[in-house]
Amino acid sequence: MNCQQATHRMTGLFDKEPTPEMDLVREHLANCPACRALFEEQQHAFEQVRQSSRVAASHQFGAKTMNAIANAAALETTSTGDFWHLQGWRRWAVAACATALFVFLLPLLPLHLGGGRSTPAFSVLAQSIEAMSDIQTIHMTGRMRTLPGDNFELIGTDYGFVPLEIWRQYNPSRWRVEKTGRAVVMDGQSSVLYIAKLNAYMKAPPQAGFVEWLRPLLNPESILQSELDSAKQTPSEVTESEADGTITLTVQRKAKGSFTNSWAMNKSIDESDHTCIYKFDSATKRLQSLQVAIHANGQDVTVLELNDIRYNQPLPVNIFALQLPAGAEQIPTVEEMPPAAAPIPGPKETAEYFFNALAREDMNAVRDVLPANPLLMELVKSKFGGLSILSIGEPFKSGNYGGYFVPYQVRLRDGSEKSFNLAVRNDNPQKRWTVDGGF
Amino acid sequence: MLTMAQQIETWPQTVAQFERLVEATQDDLVNFAFHQLGNQADAEDAVQDVYVQAYRDRVKRHHITEVRPYLFRMVRNRCTDLHRFWQRRIAEPITDGVASSEDIFSSVAAREQSQQLRRLLDSIPSREAEVIRLRAFSELSFAEIAIVVDRSVPTVKSRFRYGLDKLRHALSAEGGTR
Repeated sequence: MNCQQATHRMTGLFDKEPTPEMDLVREHLANCPACRALFEEQQHAFEQVRQSSRVAASHQFGAKTMNAIANAAALETTSTGDFWHLQGWRRWAVAACATALFVFLLPLLPLHLGGGRSTPAFSVLAQSIEAMSDIQTIHMTGRMRTLPGDNFELIGTDYGFVPLEIWRQYNPSRWRVEKTGRAVVMDGQSSVLYIAKLNAYMKAPPQAGFVEWLRPLLNPESILQSELDSAKQTPSEVTESEADGTITLTVQRKAKGSFTNSWAMNKSIDESDHTCIYKFDSATKRLQSLQVAIHANGQDVTVLELNDIRYNQPLPVNIFALQLPAGAEQIPTVEEMPPAAAPIPGPKETAEYFFNALAREDMNAVRDVLPANPLLMELVKSKFGGLSILSIGEPFKSGNYGGYFVPYQVRLRDGSEKSFNLAVRNDNPQKRWTVDGGF
Repeated sequence: MLTMAQQIETWPQTVAQFERLVEATQDDLVNFAFHQLGNQADAEDAVQDVYVQAYRDRVKRHHITEVRPYLFRMVRNRCTDLHRFWQRRIAEPITDGVASSEDIFSSVAAREQSQQLRRLLDSIPSREAEVIRLRAFSELSFAEIAIVVDRSVPTVKSRFRYGLDKLRHALSAEGGTR
């Protein structure tokens, strides 16, 4: 190898992995002071460039970038899902909410999950959403401390456990939630709630709120979205750990709502200080189980457990067709109630109207403020008909409830007295005051 | 033993894989972009844009096996786009914008050094300086740099040699050589 060839080829010595041919160049350099001097000058110049200024990505860069990628992932996921048949702007609103969630997550991570570059909880979130993209069916079983016939939101530390079961199908989107005494089926066209003790049902659009707090569980991909979205509203703390093939995400959250009057405290999960423990399979990132404990009176009490979650298994035929028993009657929605004799101006007046009507046993007047099927009317009449009003107090708000609670004390026909709070609300399109419960 | 960065042989398809990709390549890409753009904030924005684009395009890029060079190529293109954009907006495209407060101390020192180096590298043809930067900052081979700049390996090597010779003379003129 001559000097011209060596000069031409010595660039190869700067390559990442010099080829065997470079041995010849090295041999020439070893024997040629002029070429060696040239190479050393080149090497010096290159090292100056190499060592002059190297910056690293900032401490937050990895988390910010994964946040941006998860935004993209969330938008993809949300734009391909069925979103409870949401149309147009609503679907985009959901996608926007998902995006907002991830943006929200970023400042949360360094506070609660350590400031390292890795973003484990963030990754769990993004990956669990991604993992749900190939789910066709989900079947969850568990139990909840509630009253069998009451709504799906009610919990109580003194209540026993009631079995709970959830079936979910995608494409087409259908689901069923059932506990002893109540079942809700969304068949793609409508939601139907069946109440066994009244042998009555309510029918509403697919997005009707019959299942309340359980609704996010019907879309497991949105569980963490819901959790972190909720965390925006109330103080919360998220921790994440991984062991034995399971990722555990623990979310601690304060009760939602106003508790100037503590009546609604600990009557639902949202209205309790509570801890949700989500367990995800490390490999698949799918939700494996959920446990919810509320912190009441200095104790942690488990109120919800979903310990058996199965994916992509065939669901029973007709599970999404609610078979109503013979004689089942429809409870009217507010929109379907007959026109009231006269508009009622407020919550206290609604309570007065309701109890006065019961005192007179005027069930047509009761029907002005109570959406009910004939059986419920009969039950109400037999228990409260002919009552005497002892007092009706001032309405108050509590917790997350959209209406008011009105304290009352009445004497029933059998001589017993009952003191409780009547729930009344008018958050419907007609702004019509109705009795919602509490009797 | 292969480094984590070298082990990325196929275009990632999942968020978890992208997390590993970001962890393995972020420093090299941000450093490369920093020397293209002149400040850390712009560099990180550009690199972040590239990662997001890489995620969005993951399906159509699934066949790509040279992941690192393609990422550098994407960063290079992004930086070029930014330069063009800035040149339309303002007279001086390379700003002295500062990095985030957390990184300001490290990046100020780096920027000063970088400006000295930039002056030298700016004195040689940009395509030659680019190859030197890529080889110096990215740990890419000449074959991989050829992918980044979309030219043949001999062309890349020629650019490197000519650029290094010019840089050597420039350093010598500044009294920077021994």
